[in-house]
Amino acid sequence: RFLSPEFIPPRGRTDPLKYYMERKDMIQRRKVFNIPEFYVGHVLAVTTADPCASDKSKRFVGICIQRGGKGLGATFVLRNVIEEQGVEICYELYSPRIQAIEVLKLEKRLDENLMYLRDALPEYSTFDVNMRPVPRMAHEEIPVNKLQVRMKPKPWSKRWERPKYNIKGIKFELPEHKMKAAQKWSQPWLEFDMLREYDTSKIEEKIRKELSEELEK
Amino acid sequence: MMPIWTKSGEKHAVTLLKVQDCHVLRYVSKEESGGKTAKLLVGGKNVSPFSKPESAHEIFKEAGVPRKQKVSTFNVTDDAIIKPGTPLYAAHFRPGQFVDVTAKTIGKGFQGVMKRWGFKGQPASHGQTKTHRRPGAISTNKAAKVYRGKKMPGKMGNIYRTSFGLKVWRINTKHDIIYVNGSVPGHTNCLVKVRDSKLPTYKDCNKNPPFPTFFADGDEELPEDLFDEEIFQFTEPSVTFA
Repeated sequence: RFLSPEFIPPRGRTDPLKYYMERKDMIQRRKVFNIPEFYVGHVLAVTTADPCASDKSKRFVGICIQRGGKGLGATFVLRNVIEEQGVEICYELYSPRIQAIEVLKLEKRLDENLMYLRDALPEYSTFDVNMRPVPRMAHEEIPVNKLQVRMKPKPWSKRWERPKYNIKGIKFELPEHKMKAAQKWSQPWLEFDMLREYDTSKIEEKIRKELSEELEK
Repeated sequence: MMPIWTKSGEKHAVTLLKVQDCHVLRYVSKEESGGKTAKLLVGGKNVSPFSKPESAHEIFKEAGVPRKQKVSTFNVTDDAIIKPGTPLYAAHFRPGQFVDVTAKTIGKGFQGVMKRWGFKGQPASHGQTKTHRRPGAISTNKAAKVYRGKKMPGKMGNIYRTSFGLKVWRINTKHDIIYVNGSVPGHTNCLVKVRDSKLPTYKDCNKNPPFPTFFADGDEELPEDLFDEEIFQFTEPSVTFA
């Protein structure tokens, strides 16, 4: 079952009581306001309250490129290209200014961080602002889009070909010797590093139990 | 530290402070201490009694309380004296109050002059010989000496510092947690001393606080969470601007 990534506490020496208090607040907010299940790569429409807008509310449609932060400060970044200008807005999931979050298109991608869309051709980041929500077929699996994105010519904001980013969703049209040279920065010992292991299975189970109990009340 | 939102949609950062087993240990009168007001010794977190000799346990035995990790003094007026042995709770403070928080800062060890005092150092290139993070000149020719208190490298951190005028946003009476605005000196889970603010702007800010303190066995029944008026509580619907 899906557990939102901001519920899992990070590794550290903080008192678990602090995470318990944050989770209580998060559950309170979720009871009043529905935060749908979404992953990186979904197309979302977010309506926020804004004192300066003429309707006092603003609606923004975009593809979720990153989900960051833990606890109440969890954020997600939506990207869209409006009138040939790329726009990215970082929203806080638990901010009281957000009035509605709708999932327009359910679709996972090959990576968990789509920041490379900034250096991809703009057609991959454009989404129609008045898009209709695509109906979900069966309540089973979320389809994974194995799209290989084509990039603008180099220089990019980050060297996405390096193994540190571990990106599978780009169609690299670079010459072979450049791809080989990028492998020089690979760190194959990292996956065997035991100090970096953080097994979250037991923590996740406990939190899932807590969540299901609280939300049923 | 946690975010907190007001009813107008603004975000503030908040530090959580837990009141863990605080008891009043001893009353020291004005004449005994030699100061201007009477003092109350208050002890913090409970700790095992086996790591200190019996002579150190006298204060705790008199008050009838297990050994505490930290003992601090509070200057108190004569009408606020509390009997030794009473427990102190987070409900002693109310949301909307202003508070000063004292703690030992994070120890950084022996540090150079750039980190400790914020000196600019010297350029990295253009002919500098072995001089990139040094203090440079330490005095003038006419002075013919180095003044006392000259900023030089030394041990940085691990000293008591106070942040003044922090607003209390929220109090949890079940777990004894105080939500205090902004950041507080010290590392996570360090011991901290919380007092009413001494700043002149907040002199008249306390509207009917529990005086001398909040007694758990008294008649008052407080709800589990006490919020400030301006906080957005998560039980309300989303903020809209009319």
